[in-house]
Amino acid sequence: MAEKKSLGKELTKGFLDENPVLRLVLGTCPTLAVSTSVESAIGMGLAATIVLICSNIAISALRKVIPSKVRIPAYVVVIASFVTIVQMLVKAFAPSLDEQLGVYLPLIVVNCIILGRAEAFAGKNNVLASAVDGLGMGIGFTIALFLMGFIREFFGTGTVTISLINDGKALWSPIFGENPILIFILAPGGFFVFGMLIMLANKIAERKGKPKAQLHSCKACPMFATCTSSEKEDCDR
Amino acid sequence: MKKFSFKEVCVPAIVLFLIAAICTAILAVTNDVTSAQIAKNNAEAERQSRQIVFTDAKSFSDAKTAGDKTFVEALDEEGKVIGYIFTTSSKGYGSEIKIMTGIDLQGKVTGIEILSIEETAGLGMNAKKDDFKNQYVGASGLFNVVKSNPGENEIQALTGATITSNAVTDAVNEAVEIYKTVTGGDK
Amino acid sequence: MKIFFSILLTAILTQNFVLAKFLGICPFLGVSKKTKTATGMSLAVIFVMVLATAVTYPINTLLVNNGLEYLQTIVFILVIAALVQLVEIVLKKYMPPLYNSLGIYLPLITTNCAVLGVVLLNIDNGYSFAESMVNSLGAGIGFLVAMVMFAGVRERMESSDVPESLKGLPITLVAASLVSMSFLGFAGLVENIFA
Repeated sequence: MAEKKSLGKELTKGFLDENPVLRLVLGTCPTLAVSTSVESAIGMGLAATIVLICSNIAISALRKVIPSKVRIPAYVVVIASFVTIVQMLVKAFAPSLDEQLGVYLPLIVVNCIILGRAEAFAGKNNVLASAVDGLGMGIGFTIALFLMGFIREFFGTGTVTISLINDGKALWSPIFGENPILIFILAPGGFFVFGMLIMLANKIAERKGKPKAQLHSCKACPMFATCTSSEKEDCDR
Repeated sequence: MKKFSFKEVCVPAIVLFLIAAICTAILAVTNDVTSAQIAKNNAEAERQSRQIVFTDAKSFSDAKTAGDKTFVEALDEEGKVIGYIFTTSSKGYGSEIKIMTGIDLQGKVTGIEILSIEETAGLGMNAKKDDFKNQYVGASGLFNVVKSNPGENEIQALTGATITSNAVTDAVNEAVEIYKTVTGGDK
Repeated sequence: MKIFFSILLTAILTQNFVLAKFLGICPFLGVSKKTKTATGMSLAVIFVMVLATAVTYPINTLLVNNGLEYLQTIVFILVIAALVQLVEIVLKKYMPPLYNSLGIYLPLITTNCAVLGVVLLNIDNGYSFAESMVNSLGAGIGFLVAMVMFAGVRERMESSDVPESLKGLPITLVAASLVSMSFLGFAGLVENIFA
């Protein structure tokens, strides 16, 4: 990230070119787990975006204060605090969302996207750029979740329902209304839809002359930074 | 002996400690601000659920106990007891399912409401739908789950979610059992 | 006794952490190329899960008694991180053979959501200490089963002819989908055994 990019580029790179889910293959757990409906997918996307922006800002502001030796634990503490704050706010002001996300809400802490961005971007860039990076990556995450949620809910239940719109009634129920393809909403459907979306993202990237999304082993993991060099070699075996 | 350097050992520790301390303080403040609202939400949700399972009731008594079970009495305008509300739970496919059941003085189920449920979306989660819940309303005595053509006191199982259907029915039956001990004890 | 078997089998088969609850997907996709590495990673996960549960359970009781539940997430993740470091140091010093086979996976486990997930779910479900331990063990074994099965599938897939556009990650996810579908067959098993 040495070269100076315009803020606009920092924002939009997360949408598709460097989409955290579809291109960098991070944050796969929540992507699969909460994408059974559009509503919970967007809720998770927004919650993670807020945490991502806040933690990016805080870590960027503190980047000169935090000694590099303890930066990972420091990042984890900061991120965990923001996650807990978001969790309390959601419990207080959107209890139904809390019910839908369940244990996956506190698990935002270990969402690789957030620690990954802290390590790869916020720890090295100024506050404004980090905030924009967080927003862009958050939106990219939300887009991917929305696509997953939409496809799975549409095929799996035959309708799309968002409780804030249309009094919680189904928005529309064409074609599959009577006989939904239930498997889409179950676990196998999650893996399948995710695979298809990655394939599409690969196709688009190919046209732009970019490489396919890679299955990472250890390198994408932010904890990789804490590995010793011999461990790093072992990792690629 | 390793060289002990203040800058390398103590500074990181102190900075880390400070960050942790500040974060904890911020969390404590947020908790203070939100806990009242969360408690209010919970109380409101509880009240709404009671109203749903017992639409005729005008108010509700405080929690009472019968043996090791707790229940709430549903009251009319004059404060007379017109039924009981029980909260029971049973193990479903995912985890515990918590149910509130209202039963009137004739022993008829006035309504059930699902308080917490974590079943498979699209299958077990359909237990939250009114079509399923309303099967219990108006009947008295214990319930059975059947796969098709439900008769009296029989509950049509949810498609692909027999375990969830059984769990909900078990919880309702438990409420019916508690009802029997409560009313039996009154006489 | 019955309840422990029921919890154990549920965690391994019907509510498999990876294939049904989607926890620990990163290592599931990332470290499953070879059966050997998959096994090593899973054993490390089982070890850390059980240890983390044993340590966090009393800590949680302490937090709840002092009205500090809101610190759960932050305390647990730090405890897990510290625990992983500690285990690494101890293994390196006293059990070098074990360290050589498990060591490289340990740092990666800190951010494995399955570990934090099992700790939080134990509390959500209101399990007792013994039940929590059994659930964690089951979750770990479930992780092992899913990893080893999937690694086996992937090893065979290496030599198969995959459509160009599906090569790489997409076909891996489709394979994961099929493995997960096979686990749907266990639905109802535990309830019927212990009914």
